[in-house]
Amino acid sequence: MRRASVIEKDAASIGTLKDLTNVFESLASTQVAKMKTKVLISQDFFGLLWERYTSLRIDPARRITNRDGVGNNGRNAIILISAEAGLSGDLDARVIETMVTDNDLSKTDILVLGSHGASQLTQRGIPYARFFKLPESDDYINVSPVIEAVLPYERIVVYYEEYVSLGSQIVRSIDLVSHISDMSKDYEEGTMTDYDTIFEPSLEMIADEMEETMMRLALSQTILQSALAQAASRFNAMTMAEDRAGELLGEYKLEFHRAKRSESDRRLREVLVGMKKKRREAAAEAS
Amino acid sequence: MSAKEQATLHVIARAPFTLYYDGPALSLSALNAVGKFDILPGHADFFSMLLAGEVYIETDKEPIIFNISTGIVTVRADEVLLFANM
Repeated sequence: MRRASVIEKDAASIGTLKDLTNVFESLASTQVAKMKTKVLISQDFFGLLWERYTSLRIDPARRITNRDGVGNNGRNAIILISAEAGLSGDLDARVIETMVTDNDLSKTDILVLGSHGASQLTQRGIPYARFFKLPESDDYINVSPVIEAVLPYERIVVYYEEYVSLGSQIVRSIDLVSHISDMSKDYEEGTMTDYDTIFEPSLEMIADEMEETMMRLALSQTILQSALAQAASRFNAMTMAEDRAGELLGEYKLEFHRAKRSESDRRLREVLVGMKKKRREAAAEAS
Repeated sequence: MSAKEQATLHVIARAPFTLYYDGPALSLSALNAVGKFDILPGHADFFSMLLAGEVYIETDKEPIIFNISTGIVTVRADEVLLFANM
């Protein structure tokens, strides 16, 4: 059995660890609340813009979302959104596994956002075509370089983590182009044409600009969703770590009391043995 | 007479994470490729890309003034939606 003083020292370390995980848990919780608000505000903005975008009526053959004639030697593009650093549980690993299962990687170029995903891909020996650092601020997400890089591809699929609840985050994928096209289907109410609306500079130019903007916003939203899921996953990881530290502390306390009792029993035994010895010696001297 | 009583524009001006203004207004001024323009009540339906510059919204209280880097403005039946910094 370990000495009580050693156990006490270890218990103090675990106590510090528990306090630290508690702080990280609180930070992750604040981050979740902040990100949730941002996701909601951004969705609202996207919805309003979407309403206007879908009211434009132009020749579908000329739209960016029409991918006829586009194609990078028949290759598809995957945008993998991961965390910028670790501490987000196993989410990135799950995203990569889903991506590998769903796709023939020999016909696909992977563009990875976030250092953690890039390092995980390297560890697995999966090559990627481009790497983009995730933006440091969530307030303005400049995804234009990513959109420019994927526009020549016929199919653009985004893999990311989605927040369902604090306890549940799932891996999702969307086809960015059909996602934009699908959202504009069957929207007939209040169309704006150049017969009844002044377009400046022109309907076509505005439509092109709007389509690129919608793609950028759709991608930005997946990045925000992913950040929210990662914050939730971090919160869960910290909660589990804190619980485990709490359990360990309980075990250490029990072990400490056992060791203390054992040590005091041993001291008592030593005293008794000493007394017996003294008595024997005294008896021997008397006789 | 207040902006509400004058049956003026209803303006929503926002960026992805910022709401600049949502309410009645007397006019909105911004900059596009043609130059500086004003939107007043009764303006024709309008859809324009905006250039970087100042946006000025005149209300019956304090004017709302802010700068944008990019933007789109739409006007339909006196409802003005301005999307900035996307």
